[in-house]
Amino acid sequence: MRPGYPLTVGYRMNEDRIMAENMVTQIFQKLKTEGFLALCARLILGAVFIYASIDKIIHPADFAKAVYNYQILSYYLINLTAIILPWLELILGVFLIIGLFREGSVCLVTGLLVVFLGSMIFNLARGLNIHCGCFNTSTGNTNNAAMAWYVFRDGLFLFPAFYLFYRTFLGKKRTVKVYDL
Amino acid sequence: MKVDIKTTCRVKTTFWQGVVIFLISAALGLLVNTFRDEGILVVADWSQDVRPTVVSGKSMVISLGEAERLCMNKQAISIDARSPELYAQGHIRYALNLPFQEFDKYIDRVRDKIPYDAWIVVYCDGEQCSLSEDLAKQLVSMGYKKVKILLNGWTRWLEAGLPIDSGLQNE
Repeated sequence: MRPGYPLTVGYRMNEDRIMAENMVTQIFQKLKTEGFLALCARLILGAVFIYASIDKIIHPADFAKAVYNYQILSYYLINLTAIILPWLELILGVFLIIGLFREGSVCLVTGLLVVFLGSMIFNLARGLNIHCGCFNTSTGNTNNAAMAWYVFRDGLFLFPAFYLFYRTFLGKKRTVKVYDL
Repeated sequence: MKVDIKTTCRVKTTFWQGVVIFLISAALGLLVNTFRDEGILVVADWSQDVRPTVVSGKSMVISLGEAERLCMNKQAISIDARSPELYAQGHIRYALNLPFQEFDKYIDRVRDKIPYDAWIVVYCDGEQCSLSEDLAKQLVSMGYKKVKILLNGWTRWLEAGLPIDSGLQNE
């Protein structure tokens, strides 16, 4: 040992190693409890929500136009929605990925996706061809095929959302055998 | 009636978590919107008579009577923002066709016919049609200053029995 090298450092390094090992073990146990599919669903939805929020946050005026084009909200709620909704998507995406406020996040994400899908089906049914405004804020008219694609894509996102909802609220709690370290 | 305590707790937890998430988002959104340059008004009137405005806040909307007077006396150039197919089926007499969705393709064909200091009346069709507004703003951004929008133009023009033409635009 080098002169002046404190003896306690060796013990501290050993403690750190054990703590790190414990943390890794705990993470793996959490993953086992949550299930691989639920983890994937959570991460995919989180990434989708974060990605969807970015362009809307950068261009609030354009997003307000996209919200207006849906012709569902009262005129006076359009700007407020354009200001708050992208941040709600961002926060939900982050919370889903880090697993914070899981019940609330899953419930809101599923609810939002259902509302988005409902709005698009409503507009498709009344023959209003508008740009989705889902992942970017470009506006203008579009055609039936594009609207149908938006509906299909949003419907796809509902699968992981419903699965997460089921696992969070309705599914049986999985238990994992914990071994003594 | 039996109420499962665990379920009640979970509903409560979900509710307060949802409220907290919403409040954080609302606070962040409003705060950032207040301090950024691109911020928008929290409450704005999006009704059609108010919405289309130039930067100064002046409305771009023109009345049917005024549009008729300007266009029929050739004091203004009317521009149809709809597709070439709809334009060919019928359009305001003397109107040029500049479909907003194919702007880049069509602007070169009509640019020479529109002096920068001319009055321009842009129209499309339908209460909610936004093509005319989009096109008008595009023209303003190109330097045209006297641009007006005739809301629901084609339907109102037809209903008033004003002069129309049909057929494709001459190249």
